Amino acid sequence: MTASAQPVRSWSLSRRLAWRLTALMLCAMLLAAAAVARGTIATLRDLDDSALQRQARLVANHLPPQGEDGAALILPDEITQPFRASDGDNLFIVYGTGQTPLATSDPAKAAQAAPYIPAPLTGRIFRVPFVAGHRHGMIGFALRRGERWVVVLQGREQATVLLQSLIASFLATSIWLLLPIGLATVVVSLLTLRTGLRPLLRVSAAAASVGPARPGVRLPTAGLPREVSPLVHAVNEALTRLEQTIETQRTFMAEAAHGLRTPLAVLTARLDALGQTPEADALRHDADRMARLVGQLLRMARLDSLPLDVTQAVDLHAVAVEAITALVPLGLRRDVELALLGYDGTLLVSGNHAALVLALTNLIENAIAYAPPGSAVEVVVTAPATISVLDSGPGIAVEHRDRLLRPFERGIAATDGGAGLGLAIASRIAAAHGGHIRVDSSPTGGALVALDANSSLPG
Amino acid sequence: MRLLVVEDERDLASLIRDALEKGGFAADVVMSVAAAQDHLRLVTYDLVVLDLGLPDGDGLALLRRLRSEGTAIPILILTARDGPEDRVLGLDAGGDDYLVKPFHVPEVIARIRALLRRPNAALGVTLTLGNLTLETTTRQVRVENATVPLSQRETSMLEILMRRQGIVVMREVLEQRLYSFDSQIGSNALEVLVHRLRRRLQEAGAPVVIHTVRGVGYLMAEQA
Repeated sequence: MTASAQPVRSWSLSRRLAWRLTALMLCAMLLAAAAVARGTIATLRDLDDSALQRQARLVANHLPPQGEDGAALILPDEITQPFRASDGDNLFIVYGTGQTPLATSDPAKAAQAAPYIPAPLTGRIFRVPFVAGHRHGMIGFALRRGERWVVVLQGREQATVLLQSLIASFLATSIWLLLPIGLATVVVSLLTLRTGLRPLLRVSAAAASVGPARPGVRLPTAGLPREVSPLVHAVNEALTRLEQTIETQRTFMAEAAHGLRTPLAVLTARLDALGQTPEADALRHDADRMARLVGQLLRMARLDSLPLDVTQAVDLHAVAVEAITALVPLGLRRDVELALLGYDGTLLVSGNHAALVLALTNLIENAIAYAPPGSAVEVVVTAPATISVLDSGPGIAVEHRDRLLRPFERGIAATDGGAGLGLAIASRIAAAHGGHIRVDSSPTGGALVALDANSSLPG
Repeated sequence: MRLLVVEDERDLASLIRDALEKGGFAADVVMSVAAAQDHLRLVTYDLVVLDLGLPDGDGLALLRRLRSEGTAIPILILTARDGPEDRVLGLDAGGDDYLVKPFHVPEVIARIRALLRRPNAALGVTLTLGNLTLETTTRQVRVENATVPLSQRETSMLEILMRRQGIVVMREVLEQRLYSFDSQIGSNALEVLVHRLRRRLQEAGAPVVIHTVRGVGYLMAEQA
């Protein structure tokens, strides 16, 4: 009974927490890297800007005094030399009032860049998207000095390479820093979760032990986290309400039994005092029928309204012996022999001994009622968990078999004044045991009615 | 034989008392747990007929108290309770037999006689079935006045079956009571013994039958 059905889609809190924390850590690292990159880019740009301005000023400061327009401008070597040595990464162009450069450190590059240099020139930073040898383009700056403009250009490779190496080194250090922190966060969360939920194991064990035999069991609330205890308290309150309902039902059933049986007992005792006359015998027979009906109705009502404890270890062989022993006198009166066959020895199943005896008693009583005088009713115990009752009566037609398991349905040839509840009661008891009543034909042509119980043992 | 009937339903109590007195017993009727305790303190009864639902308490509690005090009086429970567990509860509490209402008065008398026949109820009783008698002290078996010659083991078997006449006695019970631990019981020793006993009784003209309940045991009854 402990094999609880798993929900179809169950999910693990720990796994979900681990995944989410890991994703959160990765996002945090990416965000941090992005923020660092953004800051670095801004800084580099500032650095570039100031470097360009410095270079422009340097060139401007060394411009010879304003001469004739069109005359060649000669700059000192200490200025031009570093530009030339930069292998084209840095260059300067000096413009006069016209479009033609007055001087430049690299005439070829200057010609390539010329179309991208904004005209008219302003004292701003500008971009040159494409110049041969500079995949990332160049940035430039124009500085006005009198009638002339000094334009300085610088390749952007340096900046990009710098940025990449910066990010790489940031990631390298931050991974070694963030990875352990991330791992520790995940591990600590999972441990907290596990220790926090451990009391739930005790709660589950207690919940599994709740049953008709132990309706007073309550789930332990000690040591539970605040998040879970409302659920456990609510379940306990539900159990209390359930127990009260069952108790009310039990009391009602006991009072109903007492109320119905006591007047019947008085009636029967009075009739017994009348002595042996045909009238008294007839009345006794009627009273017996009524008593039988009341008994069956009470049993039926009890099975319908009260849960049956089916967790005892029950020996099916002993069940068969008890039911047969009680019915042998009835069999003798009807000249029907009872016999126990099949499994000889203890055959344990999980169930309710008294209820199984009652179910089997009903099956055997039915068989005795239909068995011809001089015949035998055989009770056969078969492993793992079946008791069959075979008679050599008229048998039960296929079309009546299901119907007979319903309350108040009787066999066509019923003669014993039964109320038709015997098989229905047996069927309910079998169902409470996870089994059912099977109606078939016996090898002799009579009926075979088998009770299949659940073969699992109490856990 | 003096019996105490504890039953709070007045009509039923007086009907049971009348029947018991007709059956040769003296019977006192009380209708509450308190009165039952008072009577049991003052009078030595041979048997108690006990209803469970009494106005001032549960008959089961009274039964447990009596047993814990060491009272060995046979107690027959008469009750309306017939739940699957009720019978077991009643017998576990110390009841010797359990009868659910409504019952037939002759059945009650028969159960009472069976309880009084038990070995610990009274020593040295004469067991009877029809005109067959067995004197438990002298171990004499008679049909009418003629002695039936039986072996010791046959007499023992007859005694067990007669003490529980009309009730199935399980094979295991017979084997345990008739054979000592170390004796080798053949698989059909019991059948042979029953067969011999049947023949002896038949030869003596005893109007009794030993029915075989295949796979379970034997039942002795008067010939129909």
